[in-house]
Amino acid sequence: MADLRIDLAGIKSPNPFWLASAPPTNSGYQVQRAFEAGWGGAVWKTLGEPILNVSSRFAAVSYNGQRVAGFNNIELITDRPLEVNLQEILETKKRFPNHAIIASLMVEPKQEKWHEIVKKVEAVGVDGLELNFGCPHGMAERGMGAASGQVPELVEKQTYWAKEVARTPVIVKLTPNITDITVTAEAAVRGGADAVSMINTINSLAGVDLDSWNTVPHVGGKGAHGGYSGAAVKPIALNMVAECARNPFVNVPISGIGGISNWRDAAEFMLMGATGVQVCTAAMHHGFSIVEDMIDGLNNYLDEKGIASVMDIVGQSVQRYSNWGDLDLNYKIVAEINNEVCINCNKCHIACEDTAHQCIDLYTESGRPMLKVREQDCVGCNLCAIVCPVEGAISMVERMSTIAPMTWNERQSIISSFAR
Amino acid sequence: MSDHLLSKDEMKKVDDYLDRGFKVHYVYENLSGMFVEFNRQEEEVCLQILTADARKYFAAKLQEQTLLQEGMSI
Repeated sequence: MADLRIDLAGIKSPNPFWLASAPPTNSGYQVQRAFEAGWGGAVWKTLGEPILNVSSRFAAVSYNGQRVAGFNNIELITDRPLEVNLQEILETKKRFPNHAIIASLMVEPKQEKWHEIVKKVEAVGVDGLELNFGCPHGMAERGMGAASGQVPELVEKQTYWAKEVARTPVIVKLTPNITDITVTAEAAVRGGADAVSMINTINSLAGVDLDSWNTVPHVGGKGAHGGYSGAAVKPIALNMVAECARNPFVNVPISGIGGISNWRDAAEFMLMGATGVQVCTAAMHHGFSIVEDMIDGLNNYLDEKGIASVMDIVGQSVQRYSNWGDLDLNYKIVAEINNEVCINCNKCHIACEDTAHQCIDLYTESGRPMLKVREQDCVGCNLCAIVCPVEGAISMVERMSTIAPMTWNERQSIISSFAR
Repeated sequence: MSDHLLSKDEMKKVDDYLDRGFKVHYVYENLSGMFVEFNRQEEEVCLQILTADARKYFAAKLQEQTLLQEGMSI
């Protein structure tokens, strides 16, 4: 059994799986049930001046039969008074002293507002704070959430204000609705953040009903943009985590969020620099019990790799993530088709012929249709392997290059010395 | 001519010039590809390289020439 305990900027939890600040962490009842199910921590649904919500609130994007490939919500922060939440946090912490409870906070960008809420929330014994600078809808129209999180100066200032009075670690939750998330991550660090978390949800409109022409979701015939989450956003989130992890100025731990649905996703985020992960949409889709498979899966993975502690995988893949200009132009892979496994659906041929490099030939051998890659014309784009429906029918294999490794940056440097 | 054959042809031309003692003295790139001016004493020739593979190959050759001129082993 590997040691799954993590320490994120001083916040300790029995495993790296936290519920993200969202509907699943709205109340003590829910968070306590989550802890019973096995979650290591919970970021309490954002506290602030209690809001008013609308109905309806959620919509999902299903794709080719996969339910909830993406999830859209227009729900705001907590609609319950602060004292009610604090009482439930107190009770929950008492019942689960070894689990991490982090309070997500959102107030107007004013020093006294941050001081007030930080003091009140810390008084009930939370393990840390998460400043919500990411919520893209509703609150942003009032100058909070993503509206704050898109302005580096406001991120820095508000982090500073929170840190002025905070006694527990402060995590700054960042919005992905910005060109370069490292800019706001750096601002958070300058403000004194002990950690950053990312990503909050992405601006989205789930769809338009083709019969009624209403937005999905709609509130009595009107819609507003929401926040997109779920499996569809994972690659976006993973890149943002990686970009921050390899940025020397973002030298604080990262809590990874965004489409994490199973232990594999969690391990990927941790390899790419996250010390722990937060989950919401997958729990909303399948319930709290998904954490059991997450714990078992991660445990087995670490055991199979002979790794004693999950903390030992944090950041191990960061050095492998680089700029395009530092990739070897002469590294070569090509597609190889196993005709014994191939079912001759020809999807690879069609994809290559129509949209790639026209290097998969159809031919017949002893009356049997076959496919073959012309290696000299294959650029190793992977498209055929991606569209192939049969495991093992197409492999991408390395070919020794006859020319020495050279990156684009090295090439430009050499060529520039021969320019006039 | 296929891209592959064209690139092989362009690589061969690069090799031919270098084998005949030409040295690269000027390289520029524009929308039409890469242009390489080779010279050997008073003789000067310009080679246009169109294909991506040959442009990669040429860069490797240029690196070899540079390293040789710097007296480094390759």
